[in-house]
Amino acid sequence: MSLLEVKGIEKRFGDTEVLKDISFSLEEGKALAIIGSSGSGKTTLLRCLNFLEKPDAGTISVRGKCIFDAADPATQRENEVRQKRLHFGLVFQSFNLFPQYTALENVTLAGKLRQDKSQWSAIERQGMELLERMGLGDRSGHYPHQLSGGQQQRVAIARALALQPDVLCFDEPTSALDPELTGEVLKVIRSLAEQDTTMIIVTHEMAFARDVADEVIFMDGGVIVEQGSAKEVIEHPAQERTRQFLARYAES
Amino acid sequence: MEQFTTVVGALNVSFLLNLKLFAITLLGAIPLGLVISFGSMCRFTPLRWLTRTVVWIIRGTPLMLQLYIIFFIPGMMLESGSPWPAGSSGRFLAASIMFIINYACYFSEIYRGGIQGVPVGQQEAGLVLGLTRRQIFFKVTLLQMVKRIVPPMGNEFITLVKDTSLANVISVQEIIWAGKAFFKTSHGYSGLMWPIFFTGVYFLAFSGVLTLLFDRLEKKLDYFK
Ligand SMILES: Nc1ncnc2c1ncn2[C@@H]1O[C@H](COP(=O)(O)OP(=O)(O)OP(=O)(O)O)[C@@H](O)[C@H]1O
Ligand SMILES: [Mg+2]
Repeated sequence: MSLLEVKGIEKRFGDTEVLKDISFSLEEGKALAIIGSSGSGKTTLLRCLNFLEKPDAGTISVRGKCIFDAADPATQRENEVRQKRLHFGLVFQSFNLFPQYTALENVTLAGKLRQDKSQWSAIERQGMELLERMGLGDRSGHYPHQLSGGQQQRVAIARALALQPDVLCFDEPTSALDPELTGEVLKVIRSLAEQDTTMIIVTHEMAFARDVADEVIFMDGGVIVEQGSAKEVIEHPAQERTRQFLARYAES
Repeated sequence: MEQFTTVVGALNVSFLLNLKLFAITLLGAIPLGLVISFGSMCRFTPLRWLTRTVVWIIRGTPLMLQLYIIFFIPGMMLESGSPWPAGSSGRFLAASIMFIINYACYFSEIYRGGIQGVPVGQQEAGLVLGLTRRQIFFKVTLLQMVKRIVPPMGNEFITLVKDTSLANVISVQEIIWAGKAFFKTSHGYSGLMWPIFFTGVYFLAFSGVLTLLFDRLEKKLDYFK
């Protein structure tokens, strides 16, 4: 059974159809890369998975249990949505760390708000471990503005991991970074993949997608044009549109 | 010397009235401003337009004019005469109400800027972490909003200190009124010009204290960006 099963997702903003009949599934421990040109709907898809947008049609199931059905309002109640969100984590392109909290506080805030005080020391210990895994053990007391972009993004990854989501989503995690800082973030994501973290990664780093992801989806104009193993899709694309897209990348 | 102590004594007493008006205005306008700012951001369009129109009128006309209107117009319109209690308490009450409404409108715009200035990404990050809207407001957005509104609120506070003297247009016997009285005749003295200028010292001292307090508050919030 797949960990994640997405079926027939549609999303419109006014008159523009942004997602059309998006279906895919993801096995536990696998990494899925989503590639595609600007405006193809990649961010919107991640936002739908994280309940930041409400799809107009389609279903989302985790471990065989339907957690969202556009046709069934009972799956969309605010309180339950808040719980169901926790199946997913989201790392934003622009980090979105909370500026008034230190790196460690950013990582532990949500956990502390969910648990009572007796658990807090355990939450902090786990937060420190996560920061150490991100190579930030010595930065736990720093505020976001005292950290480089790459460090901020690694804190954001630790913050998302702290709630132990089933699927961790990344929306172009390195696009807001200076080129010399992308490496440290990609390294962290690569090590997560090696530890079999289930991930969906929207990225423009083709070489990274090929090496780290198990599967790749190529999106264009709100539809999935091609999907398959990472090597297949990136090195031997079957569709003309995928070839053109990759050729444009190879040039630049 | 005797003249000096008499004048200062009278100014002290009347400046207390300015301070009282200052405090009452803040007490009323700080929360009322929040209500008005929610109204001006309301998704229900008629309420939003009504609120914004009121804010526009209040901010677009002189406070002095508004004081005249609230104090004199009801008395002219109502058959039963002026609704304000007779004497100085009525004048002070009218001034307080007008000051609260006026400043609440200014504050509401500052709050609105503060609320809308916090990037939506902050709220979305909170949502994705499973926080409730309440938790997001109190644990994530509020402090960032406060940080944004501290400098403009500092300006408003200092303007308010000086504006309290406008209450003398409806004969609230605040400090400038008291200073002016010596020019005419008061406590047996007449023709003294200097008490009027001297009132400036009171305003300077008080706005100096406010400036220091706000500087400290800004520094306190300087630990994050
Ligand atoms: N809130 C919104 N309201 C209206 N249109 C939107 C909204 N969000 C996204 N869109 C539109 O949906 C389309 C897909 O946007 P999306 O951000 O998902 O693309 P993307 O694949 O992530 O692009 P990029 O690579 O530039 O990040 C775009 O045409 C965009 O203009
Ligand atoms: Mg995007």
